[in-house]
Amino acid sequence: MKRGTKKRIKEKNEDRFSCLPDYVLLHILSFFDIKEAIQTCILSTRWKNLWKILPTLTLISSQFATFEAFTKFISKILSLRDASASLDVLDFQCEGRMDPRELKRILTYAISHSVKRLRIDVNFDIQQFLPSLFSCHTLTSLHLSIYESPRPITLFPNSLNLPAVTTLALNGFLFCVGDDGRVDPFSKFDKLDTLMIYGACEVRDNKLNLCISSTTLVNLTIRTNYSAAGGIRFQLYTPNLCTFVYHGHIPFQKLCGINSNLSSIKHVLLDMTIGVGMWSNPKDNPLLLLHLLDELANVESLTISHRTLKVLSLVPYLLEIEFTSLYNLKSLKVDGKFITEGMLYFLLQNAPSAKVILY
Amino acid sequence: MAQEASSSTSSKTISLKTGDGEIFEIEASAAKQMKTVQRLIDDLGDDITIPLHNVFSKELPKIIEYYKKDITGEITKDFEAEFVKDLNDDEVKVLFLAANYLDANKLFEFLSQNIADRLESKSVEYVRKYFGVENDFTPEEESKLREERAWSFRGIKEDE
Repeated sequence: MKRGTKKRIKEKNEDRFSCLPDYVLLHILSFFDIKEAIQTCILSTRWKNLWKILPTLTLISSQFATFEAFTKFISKILSLRDASASLDVLDFQCEGRMDPRELKRILTYAISHSVKRLRIDVNFDIQQFLPSLFSCHTLTSLHLSIYESPRPITLFPNSLNLPAVTTLALNGFLFCVGDDGRVDPFSKFDKLDTLMIYGACEVRDNKLNLCISSTTLVNLTIRTNYSAAGGIRFQLYTPNLCTFVYHGHIPFQKLCGINSNLSSIKHVLLDMTIGVGMWSNPKDNPLLLLHLLDELANVESLTISHRTLKVLSLVPYLLEIEFTSLYNLKSLKVDGKFITEGMLYFLLQNAPSAKVILY
Repeated sequence: MAQEASSSTSSKTISLKTGDGEIFEIEASAAKQMKTVQRLIDDLGDDITIPLHNVFSKELPKIIEYYKKDITGEITKDFEAEFVKDLNDDEVKVLFLAANYLDANKLFEFLSQNIADRLESKSVEYVRKYFGVENDFTPEEESKLREERAWSFRGIKEDE
């Protein structure tokens, strides 16, 4: 093998780069498009097999001309990849129709290679894959997004425990009632600290609330359809919740569960709407926003979107309403174009020294 | 707006000395984000000027600027875009190496992404130069390798 002759004096930084351990180079490589990452095998003998131990794989079908090309590509990667290298992160996004057996293949590979963070975005029912996913004990983060039209079909199991999972994001799932007559799918997770629920989720019996019971939950994001006044009704039993982000229609009922409260929540982002005019429901009432703010009394930092300000602007005689909440507020972030003096006064009346940030 | 009274521990500053002898001040809370610095503080105490042999006066101010924003929770995508906008590829490389040396995780992550973005459309020669890599393949090895990985270009080639 040809050995380089005496090295020319190169720039100091290039020397330093070549002295870096593999994991640093792999880290940069993990941000490359997978096809580009494979190209680096041509750089030098050191790089020839580096891509094969990349611990992250992002496979996106829309980057390929046909599904056939996509599945062939996946086949090649799985066969060429270093079999002893664990796969920490798999991000799999597939638009359009795909043979579910392909998904099974890649999932089996990921699970057998100790995958820690898994994201799946598909548009077919993945019910058959859930058992193997849910028995994978290396998973710490799971992001499942299923676009099924017109309504979700995939059932999210009750009484599930994924012992190592700390982050869970769900889109397009159907939640159903458990043995205790409640819809309470997350209560058995031992370590869940971050939960995100997205728009295409539903409760099968939509007369029931979706209870979110978790003593470990710290971050909750709910991102539902703004117009879905008849959407999921959430009930929180989350005594250690710290950060709460809510995009969607203002809830018609209290967010906190019975004998529960939201006093632990410190940081909130509200991006809320109510139905107006033709689209309003008899229960639509801008005062509901104030009821929600009453529930969030202990909040220290509050971000309010322009949509939420719009709701606030619909409250008649705002400044005459008794408001005792937000007394711990240290920072308020609002859209500078839509906020009025009156609204600012109202929101800050119990915490006049709070910092105001306009964006 | 009440004035801050006397100094609290959270506004303590740490002195850092670069490899080319210049001294910069950072807040203690920013120093915490740079694990190498924090380790040196733990060993040497926070009243001493911390020596950073591998970081120089050209790049340290930029790093300090980043972490100043970080401790006030103001790092946004817009800020990050602005931060690297006027930097050329080599300047980003220098910052990246410094972030790696300082074990400054957030900056390290962000710059890894930025370097990947910058290199994606570049030629093999450019990338080799960037990483300080010498091509040590024989011409035969190189052409064989190019053939073998042609599948990753087209993604539909049949031959094994």
